[in-house]
Amino acid sequence: MKNIKVFAIPALALFLICLIATTLLAVTNSVTAPMIDELAQQTELETRQIVLPSATAFSEEKTVPGASATYVEGTKDGAVSGYVFVTVTKGYGGDVKIMTGVDADGKVTGVYPLELNETAGLGMNAKNDSFLNQFLGKVEGIKVTKSGATGNEIQALTGATITSNAVTGAVNEALGYYKMIKEAE
Amino acid sequence: MAKKKGLLHEFTKGLVIENPVLRLVLGTCPTLAVSTSVESALGMGAAASIVLICSNIVISALKKVIPSKVRIPAYIVIIASFVTIVQMVVKAFAPQIDEQLGVYLPLIVVNCIILGRAEAFACKNSVIASAVDGMGMGVGFTAALLLMGAIREFFGTGAIAGMQILPESISPMLIFILPPGGFFVFGMLIACANKLADKKGLSKAELKGCEDCPMAGSCSIREEIENSQKAKKEDGKEAVNS
Amino acid sequence: MKMMLAILLTGILTENFVLAKFLGICPFLGVSKKLNTAVGMSAAVIFVMVLSTAVTYPINILLVKNDLEYLQTIVFILVIAALVQLVEIVLKKYIPALYNALGIYLPLITTNCAVLGVVLLNIENSYTFVQSVMNSLGAGLGFMLAMVMFAGVRERLESCDVPKFLQGLPITLIAASLVSVSFLGFSGIIEGIFG
Repeated sequence: MKNIKVFAIPALALFLICLIATTLLAVTNSVTAPMIDELAQQTELETRQIVLPSATAFSEEKTVPGASATYVEGTKDGAVSGYVFVTVTKGYGGDVKIMTGVDADGKVTGVYPLELNETAGLGMNAKNDSFLNQFLGKVEGIKVTKSGATGNEIQALTGATITSNAVTGAVNEALGYYKMIKEAE
Repeated sequence: MAKKKGLLHEFTKGLVIENPVLRLVLGTCPTLAVSTSVESALGMGAAASIVLICSNIVISALKKVIPSKVRIPAYIVIIASFVTIVQMVVKAFAPQIDEQLGVYLPLIVVNCIILGRAEAFACKNSVIASAVDGMGMGVGFTAALLLMGAIREFFGTGAIAGMQILPESISPMLIFILPPGGFFVFGMLIACANKLADKKGLSKAELKGCEDCPMAGSCSIREEIENSQKAKKEDGKEAVNS
Repeated sequence: MKMMLAILLTGILTENFVLAKFLGICPFLGVSKKLNTAVGMSAAVIFVMVLSTAVTYPINILLVKNDLEYLQTIVFILVIAALVQLVEIVLKKYIPALYNALGIYLPLITTNCAVLGVVLLNIENSYTFVQSVMNSLGAGLGFMLAMVMFAGVRERLESCDVPKFLQGLPITLIAASLVSVSFLGFSGIIEGIFG
């Protein structure tokens, strides 16, 4: 009998606490999960709009012909106005995930970093518009230069060449997918 | 009157004399990790304070129900639940804060301050006193984080709370928002706190080693194990005797 | 293989848990006074990190399958706590030599944020099982490297003439800051070797 008192009661109490805690979490989750989903979808839509401002509607995700990557078609008045790609490259502090918008002529319409874990104050400056806006209107084969960007070149961030290369690599990859789509058409 | 004064004391002690970060040297991990800017410091401070207050209230309310043998696991479950709830709410309403705090948000579970207060205060005091204690400690933690965040952001980026204060032409000292800057600023703040404490005749802030960290409440877990093993042995003897 | 090595080295050098991620600061400052305790503590941390990663990986798959991701934090912390106790009991009974070496550090690790941190980061990075174990090993070894180096620094610090203002904890933190600066020098090295 003593065993029951010594072991069963604490075990039961702990079990009950776990049960109540889990129930509470399940309730909170059922309330917040739809909100989190909705928020994620909304942010996705908003970022697509940022990188491809000309589009008024976006298609479902499609697979790039001949590659494992996916893309989304942006349409305006029923006609395809551009494509949105999400590409990942290795940066200085891990993965760099970039959303790129490309218009129907293969020009970059917008670049947005979805994931960036670079050094604060150096690589993180890749979030700034002054860096990202350089990509606007560029075409496939963008090169990074440390000073005096001309033509199809991007001026690297000061002290963050690896990050600049990573972002540019991601954009070039997206442009490569664009080419594959065009060739398949 | 006396009681009111007592409550006020519970609140104010967490702010200065027993400031969890600068005097008790608890919760150093989040203090160093998320104090790169005022904004993330505020987010972390608020999240940890809410968890601290809620868990203090629940633990002191349940202090008679929870058997002492399983109290540490029980506290951990309660704290982890509140952390998860806060995490969900932050994700639903303030996703940018979730992004900034990253893995440090769920890691509030193992923040020494919270389990430490549960062990040292909430399990012995009334619900109201525990709530007030949680508030005081929470505000003290947030204030210390904000101070560090402001110093590091100002020197590291030339801005405070995102507002540029130094002219752009002055290149900021980037090292302050990098990891070494965290250790350095924290060391300097502790030195200042020690100096002030010294003037008031209080002891210096010391980290006496993990053994004293209430978070390693595991020490008491070990006691529990030894006790339960003793109990087991005794039970075994009894069984043999009978 | 290249990827494995890259994960391992990242954990040890560039993304050092203590000096770059600020996880496990309590033991870093508390147990680094002497070299042998620093080694003992970090060996126990490596052991628990790798073990809990191996155990939580299948549990996480189970949670994801049942749409219970929101229970991750609470389940993992309990699993780690239970695991540490189990290991302690098993070691005590069957491998007393190892218990004597690591045993006293084990309970201190239960709620060490580095252990829960590595488990959560493995999931966040969606590593495979082998990659997760590699990452934990790297994080643990990185912890050990930081601890051992810092223990050496602190032993030298004991005999130094420190300004009164900085004596005690402040000078320890400033020393940690300098060790951390030296680790900054490693950043980019992984991309340099494997990129």
